[in-house]
Amino acid sequence: MTETPSPAAVQTQTIQLGTEAVGFVNKLRVTLARRTEGRGLALLMLVVLVTAFLEPSVFTSYQVTLGRVALIGLVALGLTAVILMGELDLSVASTLAVSGVVMASVPDIWLGVLAALATGLLIGALNAFFVVVVGVNSFIATLGMLFALRGLAFVLSDEKPVRLTDINAGIAFGAPVLGPITPRVLLFVLAFIALQIFLTRMRSGREFYAVGGNRQAAVDAGIPVRRRMFTGFMISGFVAALAGVINTLERTAADPTAGGTVLLASFAAAIIGGVVLNGGRGSVLGTLIGALSLGILQVALTFSGVQVDIQDIFIGTILLLAVITDPTNLRAALAGVRASFRSREKAQAIA
Amino acid sequence: MAEKESLTELIAIAEGGSHNSGLEKKRFNFLAWVSERGIVVFTVVLILFAVIFVNGFASLPNITDVFYRAAPIGIVAVGMTFVVISANYLDLSVVAQVATAAVIFIGVSNNYGLLASFAVALLVALLYGAVNGVAVGYFKANAVIVTLSTTFIGLGLLRWISGGSIFFGPEDGPIRLFGQIKLGPVPLSAFVLLVITIILWWVLTRTNFGFTVRAYGSNKEATRLAGVNTGLVVIGAFVITALSAMVAGFVLAAFSNTAVSAMADGYDFRALAAIIIGGTSVFGGRGSVLRTLLGVIFVSVLTNILVLSGIGFGFQQMAIGALIVAAVSVDALARRAAKK
Repeated sequence: MTETPSPAAVQTQTIQLGTEAVGFVNKLRVTLARRTEGRGLALLMLVVLVTAFLEPSVFTSYQVTLGRVALIGLVALGLTAVILMGELDLSVASTLAVSGVVMASVPDIWLGVLAALATGLLIGALNAFFVVVVGVNSFIATLGMLFALRGLAFVLSDEKPVRLTDINAGIAFGAPVLGPITPRVLLFVLAFIALQIFLTRMRSGREFYAVGGNRQAAVDAGIPVRRRMFTGFMISGFVAALAGVINTLERTAADPTAGGTVLLASFAAAIIGGVVLNGGRGSVLGTLIGALSLGILQVALTFSGVQVDIQDIFIGTILLLAVITDPTNLRAALAGVRASFRSREKAQAIA
Repeated sequence: MAEKESLTELIAIAEGGSHNSGLEKKRFNFLAWVSERGIVVFTVVLILFAVIFVNGFASLPNITDVFYRAAPIGIVAVGMTFVVISANYLDLSVVAQVATAAVIFIGVSNNYGLLASFAVALLVALLYGAVNGVAVGYFKANAVIVTLSTTFIGLGLLRWISGGSIFFGPEDGPIRLFGQIKLGPVPLSAFVLLVITIILWWVLTRTNFGFTVRAYGSNKEATRLAGVNTGLVVIGAFVITALSAMVAGFVLAAFSNTAVSAMADGYDFRALAAIIIGGTSVFGGRGSVLRTLLGVIFVSVLTNILVLSGIGFGFQQMAIGALIVAAVSVDALARRAAKK
């Protein structure tokens, strides 16, 4: 999708289509080159086609499928904001677990939700503090937080699942509110719309791309980079905490070990969706596409009786392939191969 | 991969600072001192503290136990030091690698003999090293994400093939025998750790390959321009990690004479904690295998103190996670102070 057209091709098209059409074709080509969702869309189409033939029940029982998509996608949406700035937040899995435990430990349900969301914001701010103020690499800082917070979840919960005091709230939460849509899916859609508007229509959101694309240039242009990074990590922490709240409500208990596979699946969703790990490129729309394809795949595998172990292998392989086929990485690998060929040719020419 | 320097680093570079190479810097820098030499003092203080205040630490059975538990983590950590020094953060998939090796050593040797199990384990280790190394070295993919996915692939395969069952070795088998040999209070596995540390120390400091690993860690682009095949360097670092993880799997299997797919959980961050607390920089280029050995002693003694004091698993994990963040913060602050 991102290959640059050769001048010859453009010329033939000029002759064939005339000037007006060329304007449109070029515009289309520029738009396509700007988009990053190509791989995600290809995977989604493949998954949908194969599933439609082999396991059509995935689409007829769409409530299950949508719930799974929302589970994977919500955390991935928050991650997208951080990855766009060229950073990583590995602590989301533990944030989810800790905020769930915090929520279940508070007797009142609304106070619990508020406390859990505040926990998420606090963890996000702490991550940002280590990355921005102290200057630690975000991979290692959030990895340390991942382990420390997992420990915290165990300590707070006494290493046992914590039951929700108000079970009825949990049951009410599982019921559909808008037609067949459950609150979980509704919250996911709302989070998606909010982030989409923030990242594409608002100035501070647009600046996330600048921070990820070229940080030095962003500093020089007067963008408050530190504040943007605090915002990004806090969005990620908040969204992960929201996912923890939703999980706890649906299961009517908080599981301190929650989040292991969420980490893998949410990263996979964002990266398949074309969010470039080095920052600056990507979209929440891509993340949505990635979450859709992974969710449908997971439900299809579950429905056809595939073990969880093999599902892990599937998603792990998809993530590995997604990272490798990241356009910049692929270009680096191709350039390496080409360079070695060129040097060989040169050596032969000299000899 | 593009420069992943943090914002503060960039600003420091933009301000044009000099490097901390000792000669031009006379002012005493406490943070730099902590990140350079702190580990020796901390380890000594911690051991002294344990001997004086912790009930039951200074007993022979407990010291043997510390050695038993430190050996496999230590072997993983000294191997993983290569990945950290080559500025690739860490190899999360050691969790899967150690467990896979342990299951292979017990499961395969039960049916086909020890030699066959060594061959299979070696093959699997090379495969892990090659997949991680090619993805990170040639495709320039992020090491954390690559090894996260290979962890899930590896553990999934292991659980699927082994059926999630526990494997027991025979009571009189060679693996059991290896696990039982002790010289005084020191088990044989501790000597394995020592030998591997010495070998890897030699590789890192005295060979061409070790030099290129350190060079690649401090400046990737310069190393590439100097004509080094950087992809091979990264593959080498991951293969060394995988081979160490294989040996660690053997030692771990010999310790308990059993193997199960979840037996190496937590090895990734314990090993990382040992490496970072030892003073190897996550920014790459700086570090040593001997430092990692000290870090392993520190982490193992600390864990032992926590266990002896009856502190639960959750708090241990919290403490070690916090130590990682603290050690990295000290390193980052020291670098920034040095550049001013």
